[in-house]
Amino acid sequence: MNENPVIATVSGLTVEVDGRALVDRVSLRIRPGTVTALVGASGSGKTTTGLALLGEYPAGARVTGEVDVRGARIGYVPQHPAAVLNPARRTGSLLRDMARRQVRDLPRSRRRDAARQRVTEALADAQLTGSEEVLDRYPHQLSGGQQQRVVLAQALLLGARVIVADEPTTGQDALTKRRVVGQLAAVAARGIAVLLLSHDLDVVRELADEVLVMRGGRVVEQGPVHRVLDAPTHPWTKELLAEPRTLPYADPELTGAELLTVGGLTARHRTGGSRVTVLSVDRLTLRSGECLAVVGRSGSGKTTLARCLAGLHRDHTGTVLLEGKALPRSLRDRSREQLAAVQYVFQDARAAFDEHRPVLDQVARTAVRLHGTGHREATAEARQVLTDLGLDEILARRLPGRLSGGELQRAALARALLARPRVLVCDEITSGLDPVTRRSLLDLLAVLMRRPNGPSVVLITHDLDTAAPATRVAVLDGGQVVEEGPRERILTAPQHPFTAALLGASRGRGAAARP
Amino acid sequence: MNGLRSWIARRLLLGVLQTAAVVLLVFALTEALPGDAAVAFAGDQPDPQRIAAVREAMGLDRPAHERLADWVMGLLHGDFGTSLTSGRPVAGYLADGFGPTLLLASVTVVLLVPAGVGLGVLAARHEGRFTDRLISSTTLGVYAVPEFALGVLLVSVFALRLGWLPPTAVGYGTGLLAHPAVLVLPVLVLLSRPVCSLARLVRAGMIEALAAPYTAHATRYGISGARIRYGHALPNALAPATQQLARTIDWLLCGVIVVEALYVIPGLGTVLMNAVADRDIPVVQGLAVVFGIATVVLNLGADLVTHRLAPRSGVAA
Amino acid sequence: MKRLRRYGPGAAVAAVPLGLALAGPLLVGEPSARGASFTVGGGHWLGTDFVGRDVVQQVLLGGRPVVLVALAATALAYLVALPLGLISALTHRRWLEEVLMRPLDVLLAVPSLLMILLVAAAFPPGAAGLALLVAFVSIPDAARIVRAAAAEAASRPAVEALRMQGESWWRLAVGYVGRSILRTLAADAGIRLTGVLYLVATAAFLGIGVAPDAADWAVMVDRNRTGLLIQPWAVVVPALLIVALTMGSNLLVDAAMEKHTPPPKGRRPGSRP
Repeated sequence: MNENPVIATVSGLTVEVDGRALVDRVSLRIRPGTVTALVGASGSGKTTTGLALLGEYPAGARVTGEVDVRGARIGYVPQHPAAVLNPARRTGSLLRDMARRQVRDLPRSRRRDAARQRVTEALADAQLTGSEEVLDRYPHQLSGGQQQRVVLAQALLLGARVIVADEPTTGQDALTKRRVVGQLAAVAARGIAVLLLSHDLDVVRELADEVLVMRGGRVVEQGPVHRVLDAPTHPWTKELLAEPRTLPYADPELTGAELLTVGGLTARHRTGGSRVTVLSVDRLTLRSGECLAVVGRSGSGKTTLARCLAGLHRDHTGTVLLEGKALPRSLRDRSREQLAAVQYVFQDARAAFDEHRPVLDQVARTAVRLHGTGHREATAEARQVLTDLGLDEILARRLPGRLSGGELQRAALARALLARPRVLVCDEITSGLDPVTRRSLLDLLAVLMRRPNGPSVVLITHDLDTAAPATRVAVLDGGQVVEEGPRERILTAPQHPFTAALLGASRGRGAAARP
Repeated sequence: MNGLRSWIARRLLLGVLQTAAVVLLVFALTEALPGDAAVAFAGDQPDPQRIAAVREAMGLDRPAHERLADWVMGLLHGDFGTSLTSGRPVAGYLADGFGPTLLLASVTVVLLVPAGVGLGVLAARHEGRFTDRLISSTTLGVYAVPEFALGVLLVSVFALRLGWLPPTAVGYGTGLLAHPAVLVLPVLVLLSRPVCSLARLVRAGMIEALAAPYTAHATRYGISGARIRYGHALPNALAPATQQLARTIDWLLCGVIVVEALYVIPGLGTVLMNAVADRDIPVVQGLAVVFGIATVVLNLGADLVTHRLAPRSGVAA
Repeated sequence: MKRLRRYGPGAAVAAVPLGLALAGPLLVGEPSARGASFTVGGGHWLGTDFVGRDVVQQVLLGGRPVVLVALAATALAYLVALPLGLISALTHRRWLEEVLMRPLDVLLAVPSLLMILLVAAAFPPGAAGLALLVAFVSIPDAARIVRAAAAEAASRPAVEALRMQGESWWRLAVGYVGRSILRTLAADAGIRLTGVLYLVATAAFLGIGVAPDAADWAVMVDRNRTGLLIQPWAVVVPALLIVALTMGSNLLVDAAMEKHTPPPKGRRPGSRP
């Protein structure tokens, strides 16, 4: 590896905004054909370091240290590729503009064909099929995967020697992750250096050669991937590396009778003028005291299922029974007891709070409205539950804007718990949280379930590691439950090819299914 | 593509409904005249014989729905009825007034887009500097000023004090094109509000587009500044501007009425104002239908253009 | 100091016409005897108008109707548009939304001044009638903006979270949605006021809702135009006042919006045209 020349170096880079260091004395070297991973939670300075390679800094930043890329072209694949695709232009426009610049030296008559040739090659290199069709579409008409490949094609067309990939797998299901990993490996195989910014350690383990662990803008540990990930020395790395929870969320001893039963459910969405069926479930049950994980890729209908249970998605037929009694389709028609019995925790905790009122007041309203508690007692109860979930009163009296994502998700849990629900529907409550925060939130969920009169949980997730400790797992694909059963069986002996593929993808990236 | 076709179909249907509603509204309003159209027309000197004659001419003794049906059938065949004051067909009035109004409106629209977009882009390029501050504050100020007040002031300065331009179109007849000097002030006044609003929108859109991640991405990959401004940022800035263009049409039609009255141009606006003053109901109805349908059609066009430029924005349909 | 820089220009421009409109009628005193038409001098600072009245007195009296009618029309428009937009945004019955909003789409297709002229041809209005009429033509656009802003607020997960807590419709509509759209509405009301000022003045110029010899700046511009060559002050002064009033109020509204709107995230529903 040492005869491999260095293509870009960062030495002693410090980026300060308003006196606060986003990046603090970071140094790294990038060699062709290798993958260098910057690992850390959100806010650790990964993206700022990555963009520094491109010569871009936040507005008003004070920069010291040195970034030397020796004239090499640098490509960038951001976390949300849609943001860098011009919404008013067809996908091909930037690619064509770039290609046209490269063929300026050719005679005029040959430029057009040569430019087209280059675009086609770049798209093929980015493994994008049906390229002609894709070029003529607007970005919003492409799938997320296609958008990502178009952006990658732009970097390849540029002739980039280094590609900065920012969180390319965050929030993606196992199969999509697999594809992204394959793409980046192919890029590195072409001799292009990849700077991978990620907090997904499975992906890092599989792709990276070098790893730098960042925290608060500093590199706390760095070295070859196996040394850092298998024998970490810094406590923060150890914490990041802590295995995902494997202990079951629910106490198997406490599993009781059927609590919630879904029968003959068909849900539709209105798109444009027509109604499209997005979900049809013959039968699905949740017993008291257990945790049912509903797993699927995005668009598989898992969130719609959760919303049907909670009465938030009204456009469906079929029945949802709570202890044998039918729940009204819309929560407008549900009684207070029924509302309290099935509570819902939203994916985006920040959007689920009123930004103008303190968190404590909002949480307390549950007890006021659903149990008729007086304002004073409700506030006291809310304060106690919030403290119990790790949010002290000072935090709780703040407006939601001043709490972190993890803190707000705890507050959202508290708001639902104050209803003393029988069933708690959790919709992707850990997506977007870094591994450490995610783990502590899931541990908290287990504690809550194991309490006397604790809720049974429907856990909606795309992440198999999150689903693994559930009592039972239901796999959703294309709006159908393709497989359902105890987690041991689903995770070790899947019967449906889709489940097998999902698990295979998960195993392939090194995270063995942990039964 | 299917979605686009169904969107166009829905938008066209809305256009047809709007046209029908305009026709109905016009009829209903004149139908609601106190007494009836004949009494209203007779005005301050009610002459029973005259009223009876007008009633006869308008067929006011027949039930309303029959008259509506007749009128609508007439409209479909291009027959707008007959004026009460002169006995001439309304279509004749329309034909007379059409030329000057069309000339005024088309000159304005032809100048509007380059002037508005140009000013907007210019201001955006110099964001925060003197040029931008000058353009921004002028457009902001002028944007809300009624045409008649601005027009009268321009006449006082450029026609009466400096004597550069004729104060009104009196004496030039309908051959305005032969005397471009007559058109300068009216077109300037008509342009004032739409140019300001367009320039402000384009400026805001350009600034937003130039600060967007996709622009940074294009810069990053070496696309030249001019190409980024006009090829990549401007299309984004134009989408909200075209949406506003539809509202501009409303302003232009209002502005035409005022400007024609102010500069004594014998266009449709003047015909309308005279008919309103004379309470010549058939002429008012005919003109209202023409103005209404023109708005509906132009709005439709603007929406189609917007849909093309901003495929993602769900233009109300 | 910052406030002065922000509001200074608008306030400076609008101060004279607004002051005249509010305090003018108090300063006017006894009406002086009529003289000859369109004279300059002779005890009249700004000369006389088309029927020989003192122009200064007419200017002092002529601002109030424009401002009052515009304020009343804006308030009236919102009185109707607010419940209309809120209900259609918050209802889950699509037919109700269609019934409330579709007629407005149709009304929106008629140019506002044409609508005013049409109605005025049928029912010649007074000042109150003009206010009603201008309010009426402003409702569709205002209702659409209320609805768009409210629909955006109502689609946030926070509303569903409140529903999960069993909160009442009123608490959702007023306590959350109403509060969330307050800024957008304040901004829109300002823009609408300048638009309404324009319509009121233009209608008065065309002779709608005013007596032919009314003391009204717009009417003065219209009626004294015939004497523009001999006595320009009777036209130029009221025209300048109208320009200053509309321009100044627009600058003020813009300054106020700049303070109250957060940095743009895409296109705000109430972003100014």
